Amino acid sequence: MEVNDHVIVRKVLDGDKEAYGTLVARHSPTVFRVAFRITGDEADADEVVQEAFLRGYQRLQTFESRSEFRTWIYRIAVNCALNMTSKRKVEATYQIGEETDPVTQQVQVADHAAGPERTLLSREIQSLQTAALGTLTPTERTAFLLRHMEDRSTAEIASVLEIAPNAAKQAVFRAVQKLRRSLAPLRVNP
Amino acid sequence: MNHLSEEQLIDHYYGKAESSAAASKHLQACDDCARSYASLASDLGAIKPPSVPERSAAYGEEVWQAIRGTLPVYEPVKAKSHWNWLVLKPWSLAAAATACLLIAAAFFAGRQWEHRNSSIATHAVNADAGKQRVVLVVLGDHLDRSERLLVGLEHAEPSTEASLQAEARDILSANRLYRASLNQTDDPVLAAALDHLERVLVEVSNQPAGLSQTKLVELQKEMNTDGLLFEVRILRSRVQEDVDRNNAVAAKKGVSIL
Repeated sequence: MEVNDHVIVRKVLDGDKEAYGTLVARHSPTVFRVAFRITGDEADADEVVQEAFLRGYQRLQTFESRSEFRTWIYRIAVNCALNMTSKRKVEATYQIGEETDPVTQQVQVADHAAGPERTLLSREIQSLQTAALGTLTPTERTAFLLRHMEDRSTAEIASVLEIAPNAAKQAVFRAVQKLRRSLAPLRVNP
Repeated sequence: MNHLSEEQLIDHYYGKAESSAAASKHLQACDDCARSYASLASDLGAIKPPSVPERSAAYGEEVWQAIRGTLPVYEPVKAKSHWNWLVLKPWSLAAAATACLLIAAAFFAGRQWEHRNSSIATHAVNADAGKQRVVLVVLGDHLDRSERLLVGLEHAEPSTEASLQAEARDILSANRLYRASLNQTDDPVLAAALDHLERVLVEVSNQPAGLSQTKLVELQKEMNTDGLLFEVRILRSRVQEDVDRNNAVAAKKGVSIL
């Protein structure tokens, strides 16, 4: 039977440091996933995971038992990841090698056959998406990632980013608008 | 018909509960909004989450091993319970008992001290009051005797002059004591009257040839014995009022006069 997170937190605060290892093992995959989606880099995501659990341990006395440890460490991880992206200036890595001309370089995705061409095309689409995400502000990008990829509610996004719910909603809205403009060349004309 | 805004379409795409039903109904009825929504859904649907690199089952343990060396151990924090005060260790029990004993001793000592001081004060007040009453009674007698002497001097006859002189000497010694005592008090009127009386008594007592009618008339004029008699009468009545008042107070308190 799995021990409740709150019980483990209590044990850690009572001097049982090793109990924290259980929490780390339990929540590392989730923390890594969100860290990777925000940073876009595997090594940075690993570093974010370690930093998040380190900060979590240091602030464990401020953890309130009425909240969930999973949500709490998730919020810390998002903040660590945002700090990491600012530090690494990952926007530069999102730059693609070739300029896309909206008029002449529309990508046609009508082929259902799998093959080297399609694989190459998928990779190019992925690069364009990554570049489009790079044009967003950190708040817009994180809000969009949490909404679109992590399926978090507006309230949860607001809580993680420590902003008002309406501001979180507007951040998602602006992100979608910018992404649609950036990814317009990928649209298949009817 | 108002078309759905892009924001409402985005809300509907992400399934916001409060707007979803109304938006669905509108999209069924409005072709323009339905096309806009289809375009939005296509764009957002094309944005696939990047595939997250796989992590081994031991990933959590690896993270833990990477950070555990840098983490300090928390000092055990005793949870504060409302019932903790009931669970006393021997030393704290002894301390509590000592504290209770000290408080009880201090309370008892305080009561004793208060009681004793109150008794002493009461006794002192009673003693002072009794002493004052004795002085007033004796002084009243003295003034009474002095008044009678002065009246006798007013109406002296040769047959009574010798007895008046003897009485004057007797009163004089007592008057000296009273005057000396009253000089230490704050009753200047009584002190001045006794001083005046003493001078008269001295003159009466110290007439070597005895009191003659002529000498008495001179004394009455020079020493203003009439005025002295008036003063003594007033003082005697005042002293008598004081005696009566003190007796009344003493009767209320249940204390005997003498």
